[in-house]
Amino acid sequence: MGEAAGFWPWWQGGAAVAAITLLLLWLGNQRLGLSTGFENLCALLLRTPHLMRAEVTGSARWRLPFLGGLVLGGALAALASGGWQPSLAVPMLDARFALSPAAKLAWMFAGGLLIGFGTRLSNGCTSGHGIFGLSNFERGSAEATLAFLAAGMVTTWLVQGAGAS
Amino acid sequence: MDRLLYGVLGTAFGFVLYRSGASDYDTVQGMFLLRDFQLWGLIGTAVALTAPGLWLLRRLGRTAGGAPLRVTPKPRNRGNWIGGAIFGAGWSITGMCPGPIFVNLGAGKLHALAALAGALIGAALLARYYSRLASGLGLPVAKA
Repeated sequence: MGEAAGFWPWWQGGAAVAAITLLLLWLGNQRLGLSTGFENLCALLLRTPHLMRAEVTGSARWRLPFLGGLVLGGALAALASGGWQPSLAVPMLDARFALSPAAKLAWMFAGGLLIGFGTRLSNGCTSGHGIFGLSNFERGSAEATLAFLAAGMVTTWLVQGAGAS
Repeated sequence: MDRLLYGVLGTAFGFVLYRSGASDYDTVQGMFLLRDFQLWGLIGTAVALTAPGLWLLRRLGRTAGGAPLRVTPKPRNRGNWIGGAIFGAGWSITGMCPGPIFVNLGAGKLHALAALAGALIGAALLARYYSRLASGLGLPVAKA
């Protein structure tokens, strides 16, 4: 299904993710982890004590350029796969609920709230826990990864109509 | 100069996530429904290759520039799985984990902007109430 959709084969994507993770550590001495980036961005505007801790202030120097790169990489990838154009289309979600544009943005905003709050409470996301933490055999990362994969499976199952196809 | 390095690595990472389906809503739902092996295979391959690479780099103990390698394990506490579960629901709802929010923003997906706004406010809310949650959940106390 993945390759049929025109994506790279999974092993190629996984190998590339591993290579970038290791290069980031070897060249830059940085542990891959993206969700602290939400706090790096918040700290540009807010001075809440929790956002002033060293983990946040000390990492903006590398993580903000990296996040900027993600945006650029997304644009280049879209250009390289059929052209860049602004879009609100989310095929599987549209097929399930046919949300109005405003309702779809509200849906995404609500999900975003859970992502921002949850990743910061968990102290990591798919990259920091799922890729780096698991690869470093950290027990807290294994617990976090099991929790977000399980919660994602349950949520998708509920959203898609409790197993209806 | 090193900002350029991080920008280039981020660009490569964003390109890879987009081209391998990690930022695609339908592919993410296919993973969670166990109908599509793509992202299970991607994450599994990434861990299977990062783990030995990490082991090797830690044994060498030095970066490319000769500095002592720094790999700090994350603190383990109840926040890991409680926050992880909250995040997992958000990942399913939006079809995006944190990296792909930025990737989709660049790719022109307008709804990624709404997800980013939510994520920033969610992170700010946690920061605002962190000290109240910290004692109950055994989270580390923030150091300036």
